[in-house]
Amino acid sequence: MHSTVVRAQNVFGFFTTVAFAVAALIAFTDLITPRTPKANISMSKVEVVRGRPNYYSTKKEEYAVLRFNLNADFSSLMNWNTKQLFVYVSASWPNSTSSEHTNEAVIWDTIITSPSADHLQNIGPAAMKKLKKSAEGKTIDPSRGKINLKNQKAKYQITAPGGRLAEKNDVVLKVHYNIQPWVGVLTWTPQIEFGKWKMMKGGVSKLFNFPALKVKKAADTTSR
Amino acid sequence: MADQILEQARELFEGQIDFEGQKLAEFLATALLATVGAISFIVGYFRQDIKGALLIGLGGTVLTFLAVVPPWPIFNKHPVKWLPVGGQNLDTSELIIDG
Repeated sequence: MHSTVVRAQNVFGFFTTVAFAVAALIAFTDLITPRTPKANISMSKVEVVRGRPNYYSTKKEEYAVLRFNLNADFSSLMNWNTKQLFVYVSASWPNSTSSEHTNEAVIWDTIITSPSADHLQNIGPAAMKKLKKSAEGKTIDPSRGKINLKNQKAKYQITAPGGRLAEKNDVVLKVHYNIQPWVGVLTWTPQIEFGKWKMMKGGVSKLFNFPALKVKKAADTTSR
Repeated sequence: MADQILEQARELFEGQIDFEGQKLAEFLATALLATVGAISFIVGYFRQDIKGALLIGLGGTVLTFLAVVPPWPIFNKHPVKWLPVGGQNLDTSELIIDG
């Protein structure tokens, strides 16, 4: 500590140690914060149509176009260490060649930011202003964890590698989430109970079937 | 003249402090940084405010740098008493020689 340079080095060196210790403590607080997510999902409309994966493709595939209702409460996941919450809905159905594996595809997703991470959202200036205003003066905003969607259209239409999807049975919609913390580990929907982290209540729809291929009436008359 | 200015500039840049001052600087750096870390975590947790915790932590670190790095007069209160040049008129009665 005899000269300026040595003092600066020593202070900075111990600062990194303190920063690491504080970050570890912050990550640890996640473990003692209860997580009690709830979700209620149901399919409201499903149809299977034929289409092309892209404009120039000659291959025709079957696509499932879905609508669903989602009522979820993820407010317990929005604590001080939450940067953003990624919520996604998948559709899954049994694999015809394997009983171990299921087909699963994401049909809808959303990113819910914590007020501390609003500036990271990739949205326009007007929407950004509105988003920031919605949490003015708040350090966390648990109300953002509440999702209420009625007859929501899927963001992604799904298909299968074989291109056949019509008349598949026992399809189920599932809600998943992924918490991205400021410091600590990424966590996905827990499959087991872990301390104060409870498994999601609900979050799985009733089984339904993909209907037969929807045939356009105009195409029906000309094809004969 | 130029030598004198150069010497002053070198001293200012090196910022040497005495032994008691080094002990004090070491203690201050450790105590201040540890306290700042504890305060930033506790305030951040109870206010559920990660940005606040970050600001307290970084702000406190900047203050620690300002308190410890420059050679403040408080670190130079016990200058080393050197023996006179040439060893003439040396009063050995107060001299302690190690070993």
